[in-house]
Amino acid sequence: MRNQSQLWWSIAAVACAVLLAALWAFPLLWAVSTALRPEHETVSATFHWLPQVWTLDAFRKTLSAGNLPRWLFNSALVSLLVTVVTMAISLGAAYAFSQLRFRGRGILFALAMLAFLLPFEALLVPLFRTMHQLGMINSYAGLVLPQVVSPVVIYVFKQFFDQIPADFREAAVMDGANPLRVLWSVYLPLSGNIVWAMAIVTFIGAWNNFLWPFIIVTSNDMMTIPLGLTQTYDAFGVRYAQLMAAALIGALPVGLAYVVFQRRVTQGFLAASGLKA
Amino acid sequence: MASVSLRGIRKQYDNNSVLKGIDLDIADGEFVVFVGPSGCGKSTLLRIIAGLEDISDGTLEIGGRVSNTIEPARRGIAMVFQSYALYPHMSVFDNMGFALKLAKVPKAEIAERVGRAAEILQIGHLLERKPKALSGGQRQRVAIGRAIVRKPEVFLFDEPLSNLDAALRGQTRVELARLHRELKSTMIYVTHDQVEAMTLGQKIVVLNGGRIEQVGTPFDLYERPANKFVAGFLGSPRMNFFEATLAGQLGRSTTVLLAGGARVQVAADVARAQAGARVTLGIRPEHLQIGRAGGHDGGIGATVALVEYLGDVTLVYANVDGAEAGEMVAVKCDADTAPPRPGSRVELVFPATRAFLFDEEGQVFAPGWVESTAAPLSQA
Repeated sequence: MRNQSQLWWSIAAVACAVLLAALWAFPLLWAVSTALRPEHETVSATFHWLPQVWTLDAFRKTLSAGNLPRWLFNSALVSLLVTVVTMAISLGAAYAFSQLRFRGRGILFALAMLAFLLPFEALLVPLFRTMHQLGMINSYAGLVLPQVVSPVVIYVFKQFFDQIPADFREAAVMDGANPLRVLWSVYLPLSGNIVWAMAIVTFIGAWNNFLWPFIIVTSNDMMTIPLGLTQTYDAFGVRYAQLMAAALIGALPVGLAYVVFQRRVTQGFLAASGLKA
Repeated sequence: MASVSLRGIRKQYDNNSVLKGIDLDIADGEFVVFVGPSGCGKSTLLRIIAGLEDISDGTLEIGGRVSNTIEPARRGIAMVFQSYALYPHMSVFDNMGFALKLAKVPKAEIAERVGRAAEILQIGHLLERKPKALSGGQRQRVAIGRAIVRKPEVFLFDEPLSNLDAALRGQTRVELARLHRELKSTMIYVTHDQVEAMTLGQKIVVLNGGRIEQVGTPFDLYERPANKFVAGFLGSPRMNFFEATLAGQLGRSTTVLLAGGARVQVAADVARAQAGARVTLGIRPEHLQIGRAGGHDGGIGATVALVEYLGDVTLVYANVDGAEAGEMVAVKCDADTAPPRPGSRVELVFPATRAFLFDEEGQVFAPGWVESTAAPLSQA
């Protein structure tokens, strides 16, 4: 009786999971389906789940028209810079908040965490004005700098460092290591998975970021992929197949990065939550 | 090698005073053990010498140099942590050579020094392994090796054996003593284990509540404790204490009256006390002897509660007449003699020269000798 009841629960759970997975995957599958149609089929009055004529035309046109390779390069460079600088700043700040004892530490940490409460939108105007004054409009520095302070990442690293026994730091200090060396040689190697997880999340966030590039960039050559997609739309009119093809090309590097580092990301989140992988 | 001198060392955390004025001299090449109960400040004192804690007040000298504000790595010290604190991502070789690498010692010299330390500790075959692939005892050796390669003037050990099992603890104790003989370095060792303290220490520092209770050789502390705390802290089972009042004195022999009415003679000079003063009588378990009830003069009547056979000795626990319920005395008997049965009445006797008397503040009275007859003390 009990076994049968458990079986029904299992079936129901699997059914729910399949339904949720299908709901989640539907936009992606629809994008793939649309990108593989001829343009006229995307606006056809008759609905078809799959293309009636399979073609890579949309991909070919997207890659040859517009400025896609340049946008891809911009996205890669900006995302990489944002990730590296965010990791460096967050690791340093988290180590200081977690392991060093200095006057005003608590207040500084509280201030850093208060940034949680400030929506990025509220900072758009002052940030834009600052960047303008610094002459950083349409520059990589202007694209990268406002994105490199992440209270969430600092908080996650700090929580993780708090769990590392202080003996490691003290042993390294007795061995003659300065704080930077302790962080580099001891804390960083001990935090491998969580650093990877935070780096991937930061990279994806930076890759997908639309709002700030939209504000700071006006030049077509400095656009990133999400911003460039709007240009594709403008350039081609309502060309859904090409739009979807561009979106898929833009999402491909991030998807690949996630697939490659999936294991590390999962282990990192488990480490952050205190569970064992 | 270096001497260590502490003058008026105090440590304060907010309003909590952890060390309340420590004065101590540690000679060059000496093996000193800090011992005391949890929270007595022994680890804090060690960390202050290491430079891992700031000094609130007082002066620390290492090798004749005031070291209060000198960075830990420049004090000429090395520390073995309770947890060993081996870097898990580094091999044994890298763990041992990390300090030398930071000091920019040439690679060849690092290899040579690590190799020599590994040879002393017999861990040469483990150099490529990561700490997680080592047993507890091996990790412990690596931690000591990491300290040795730095050629420190002073070694600090923070309860390094507490994570080992009993057999390995005994073995490592012997090795540490050998290491001290070979290296001839000053060693400061923190433990709460009195066996470690007694066996390793040339000098033992007993701490309690942030103060030094007594400093001396293991023999001094055991045979001539300065106060009730030290007397009770060293020895297993601990010294038996009996509440008593001073009843009489003849020369430097004293008679005390126990709560149960028994009058016993103690070789103690109580000239500084008044008749009727409340005192504590202390007798170690190995100095108590069990006799037949009613068979002795000056014996303490008791009922046997529990008998523990330990192989080499037998421990007898008994409730003394007049003592509070649950308060038992321990008697260490020769395992060859038949112990009394639980519930049987016995009389506990002891040589008057082996008992201690403590005043109300817990300070020991000077030892005396036994006269044939004790006279009443003059009334206060």
